[in-house]
Amino acid sequence: MTLDAVPLDVPVRVLGCGGLTITDRDRLAGLGLRPGVSVVKILSTPLRDPIECLVGSQLLAIEARLLSHIRVELA
Amino acid sequence: MIRVIALAGRPNTGKTTLFNALTGLRQRTANFAGCTVEKATGIMTASGGDVEIVDLPGTFSMLPQTADEAVAFRFLSECAEAAGDLLVLCVAEASNLENDLVLPAGLKAAGYPTALAVNMIDEARLNGIKLDAPELSARLAMPVVLVSARTGEGLEQLDALLTPPPLHADLTETLDFRTAAKKRLHQLQDDAVEAAKAAAAASMIWPRRSVLPTVACSIRIDRVLLHPAAGPVILAAAMFLLFQALFVGAKPLMDLLSDGLGSLADSLRALLPDGALSSLLCDGAIPGVSAVIVFVPQIAILFTMIGFLEQSGYLPRAGAMVDRALRPFGLDGRVFIPFLSSFACAIPGIMATRTIPSEKRRIVTILLAPLMTCSARIPVYTLLITAFVPATFSPLGFNGQGVVMAGMYLFGIVMALALALVMKYTSLHEMHPAPATVLPPYRVPSAKELARYVWARCWHFLSRAGQVIFILSLVLWALAAFPRDAALLAPVEARLEAAREASPADPALEASLRDQLAAARIEGSALGRAGRLIEPVFRPLGWDWRVSVASLSALAAREVFVGTLGTIYALGGESNASDGLITALREAKNADGTRRYGLATAVSLLIFFAIALQCVSTIVTVRRETNSWKIPAMQFAFLFGLAYLLSFAAYRLTLFLG
Repeated sequence: MTLDAVPLDVPVRVLGCGGLTITDRDRLAGLGLRPGVSVVKILSTPLRDPIECLVGSQLLAIEARLLSHIRVELA
Repeated sequence: MIRVIALAGRPNTGKTTLFNALTGLRQRTANFAGCTVEKATGIMTASGGDVEIVDLPGTFSMLPQTADEAVAFRFLSECAEAAGDLLVLCVAEASNLENDLVLPAGLKAAGYPTALAVNMIDEARLNGIKLDAPELSARLAMPVVLVSARTGEGLEQLDALLTPPPLHADLTETLDFRTAAKKRLHQLQDDAVEAAKAAAAASMIWPRRSVLPTVACSIRIDRVLLHPAAGPVILAAAMFLLFQALFVGAKPLMDLLSDGLGSLADSLRALLPDGALSSLLCDGAIPGVSAVIVFVPQIAILFTMIGFLEQSGYLPRAGAMVDRALRPFGLDGRVFIPFLSSFACAIPGIMATRTIPSEKRRIVTILLAPLMTCSARIPVYTLLITAFVPATFSPLGFNGQGVVMAGMYLFGIVMALALALVMKYTSLHEMHPAPATVLPPYRVPSAKELARYVWARCWHFLSRAGQVIFILSLVLWALAAFPRDAALLAPVEARLEAAREASPADPALEASLRDQLAAARIEGSALGRAGRLIEPVFRPLGWDWRVSVASLSALAAREVFVGTLGTIYALGGESNASDGLITALREAKNADGTRRYGLATAVSLLIFFAIALQCVSTIVTVRRETNSWKIPAMQFAFLFGLAYLLSFAAYRLTLFLG
C-alpha cells in the first residue's frame, strides 16, 4: 500500500520509499520521513496539493505526487 | 586563542534565539525553517572569559543540499582545518528529539568536539515529555544541558559548559565536509539516525497521548486556516486588512509628526537671521528628512504584522497554500518566504533564496524579488496616492487610498508572476518542486521579540533617512540654491522691489512675486539646469524637470524621491514639510495656469517605481549572491527599460481615458 491510497486520519507506518530521485529521498529522510516512522495524513491544502501529514511528532506539507512512492502499512 | 562555539542544528530549533540570549545581540528570529541563511558572530562574556558564538544556518541532515546548509558545513570544516579551540554546540528541540539528535550524533562520529543544548524545554514540559539529561549525555557521549532560550532557563549551566579553559581537542581526524565522498556522508547519516533513535528512546518518556498537545492544537488551527474554502479567503483578508491598517491606523501619528516637524522648521526660521544657514536648515535638511520620517508609523505597522505572521508559524502554511498555484508560473511554495521578506526589503528576501536547492530557480527568484513592494516604496506610494487619489474615493465603503495601495502591492506580485511565466520558456526554467516542508507548531509571538524586530526595521529605515537622505538633502540644497542666475532673477526682483514700495501695499501681489522669485532661483540653479537637460527623456512619461531629478536621485534608494521633491519644493517656496509637499504637488501649476501634475503623471510614476530597480544596496546584494556583475547589470537594465515602457503606456492610457 502507498500513502496516496490511505484515507485521512488513519495512522500508518513507513516501510520505504521507491522510485524517488536520490535528492528527494535524502530530503525526505532529513525531514524525518524514514522507514519505521508513523504517519497520519491530516488534510489537503486548498488546492489539494501539498498534503499536510503528521510524521512522527512533526507536521510536514508533502507534495502529493510523492505519496504514491511512499510504501506504508497500517500501524 | 578565543574559543569558538558554533551553534548547529536543524532549522527552527531556536538557535538564533539562543544566540541572542548568549550574546545580547538582536539577530532576526522567526517560526519557520530557513530564517538564518548566513552565519552570524557575537561575543559572549562567560564567567571564565570571552567566547565567540557563531550562529550557523540550520541543516536537515549530514548531506548539505542548499546554499545555506553548505555555509554551515563549510564553516565547520574550515574551523577544523585551522585547528582552533572549537566546540560545536548542537541545538535540539525537546519535542522533536529523535530527528534533532541526528546532527549531534553525526558530528560527534565525524570527529568534532560536540555538546548538546536541548532547547524549548518549557514547551516539552507542557507537552508532558520527561527527559533524562544524564542518560542522554551518556548515550551520545557528550555534555547535555536542558535550556529554554526564550525564558532563560538553563543558561547558567550552559555558561559553565561553554567557558574556557580550552578543550585541546584533536581536530586532525575530523571529517572535511567540503571534500568528503557522498557515500561516506550517507553512511555517516545512516549511523547517526540509528544512534539518535536509540538515544531518544532511552532518555525520553513520551506522554500517553499519541499526538503532543502543541501539535494537536496546531492541527485544529490548520483545519480552519488551511480549509479548502476558508483558507484562501483568510489569507486574502489578512493581506487586505494589512494595507487598510497602513493608512487608517498610521494617519494620526503621521499627522502629528508632520505638524511637529513643520513647526520646528517654522520656529527655526523665526529664530535664525535670513540667509544661507536658515535656508540650509529650513529649506534643505528639515524638509528633506521630515518628508521621510513621517512614514515611520506605517513602517512600524507593516512590520508588526509581518513579524506576527513570521513568529506565529503561519508563513510556511501560507507558502504551502500557494505552492500549487505557483507551479504553472515555474515557481513553487519555497519562493513565498523570499518574496514575503522582500515586502520588507529586497535584501533579506534575496538572501532567503539560499534555501532553494535549484540554482536556476534561485536566480529566477533573485531576479523577481525586487518587484515585491519593499518598505522604501511606501513613502513614494503614500505621497502620490494621498496627493492624487481623492480621500472621498471609497469603493464598497473601504478607504479608497488603502485600496489603491493594496492594488500597488498586487501589481508588483502580478508583474513578478508575468515575468516568471516568461522565464519559464527560457533556459532559466528547471523542474525542481519542493518535496516537503516543515510546518512548525503555532506559537504565540513573544511581545519582546516582536518589539525588537519592529524597532530593528524602523531603525534601519530611520538610519537610512538620517544618513543617506540627510546628506543628499544637503547636497541637493546646495545644487538647488546655487548659482544665482542674475538674468533670470533681476526682472522679478525689480517687480518685487516696486511692489514693496507701492502705496497702498498689495500683500497678495507681494507674496506671489516672492514665490516667483523662489521659483526663478531654483530654475536657474545647477539642479534646475540639470533637470531641464534630462527633462526631454522623461517628458513622454508626463514628468517635469523636478520629478525627473527626484526620480534620478532615487536610483540610489527609492525613498530619496520624497526627500528630493521636498527640498525642491521648499526651496521653490511652494511647501515646507511633507504635508505641505502633498498639497504643493496637488496644487502645483504651470506658468500658463494649467495643473502641473494630474492623475496620469501619478499613475506613470507609480508604475515606474513599482518596476524599476532603484536601490544600490539590492544591486550589490544580487552581485554577491550570484557572484557576477552580469546578472545585476542585466536585471537593472531590463527592469529600467520595462518600467519606462509601461509608465509611458500607462500615462498615455490614463490621458486617453480622461
